Amino acid sequence: MQYWINFNGVQSGPVDLDGLKEMGLTSAAYVWHEGLSDWVKITQLPELQGLYEMVETPVQAASEPMTQQAGQLAINTTQPYQPQPDPAEPCPPTNLVWAIISTVLCCIPSGIVAIIYALKVSNKYREGDIEGAKRASETGAWWCIATIILGILTMPLGYLMMAGGVS
Amino acid sequence: MRRSLVIILVLAALMVFGVIYFALDPSSSGLFPRCVFLSMTGYKCPGCGSQRAIHALLHGNVIEAFKFNAFLLVAIPWIALCLFAESRRLRNPSLYARLNAPLLIWLFLAALLLWWLLRNIFNW
Repeated sequence: MQYWINFNGVQSGPVDLDGLKEMGLTSAAYVWHEGLSDWVKITQLPELQGLYEMVETPVQAASEPMTQQAGQLAINTTQPYQPQPDPAEPCPPTNLVWAIISTVLCCIPSGIVAIIYALKVSNKYREGDIEGAKRASETGAWWCIATIILGILTMPLGYLMMAGGVS
Repeated sequence: MRRSLVIILVLAALMVFGVIYFALDPSSSGLFPRCVFLSMTGYKCPGCGSQRAIHALLHGNVIEAFKFNAFLLVAIPWIALCLFAESRRLRNPSLYARLNAPLLIWLFLAALLLWWLLRNIFNW
């Protein structure tokens, strides 16, 4: 298994388990390997237990004992690295299924707009823009609803104008 | 509690529609809604033939259903998978994120538009 490392904002990898052991990581590091949807804290992977040093705050692994002052300095200057998107935040609903169903079953092309919004949700989520994804999700849901309502409202038109075949 | 009520209502509605679409043939019965897009423009929409395809499918005629709306037939298993992932979005976010990857949505959109175009050119 190959691991990618994100430690103190610096990304490295791929490394195997032996390489990872020699990097002197602390519990503040983030790792990713194939199959994971996003970066996870190194402490979340049980197979890596014991290969890193446990620290309370994301301070750079210190080889020499730190004085109180130096420790505080390190805390102030080292921003805890937060990978985007937060792995704990699931993708907002893309409404893709409803977009498809309303497009295919309602005969109204506005369902295509709902599919494009589903794409927007997915793209924004990938970029880490959770708020933008949620907004696109909501707009997309309204397009689905509008398409379904329009489909029902225009149904009588289909009965009246018998020009075409059966849907 | 609310969730199970929704599931029961959806299943009941599906059953009712299933019985209607099994018993009545949209090809000959005048009861079924007609495609507004086709009536207005003379061109088929991506969903045209869905009702006849569902009727054929309920009678086990997969080939006939494919002839009525090939896209629907191909899309049904995918839609089912997406619905399953959607019901487990919070419990299994990675499956949901993978099924809703931008590339997959792009491919679906392209396939849908291509199907729409081609079926009107070749009268599928």
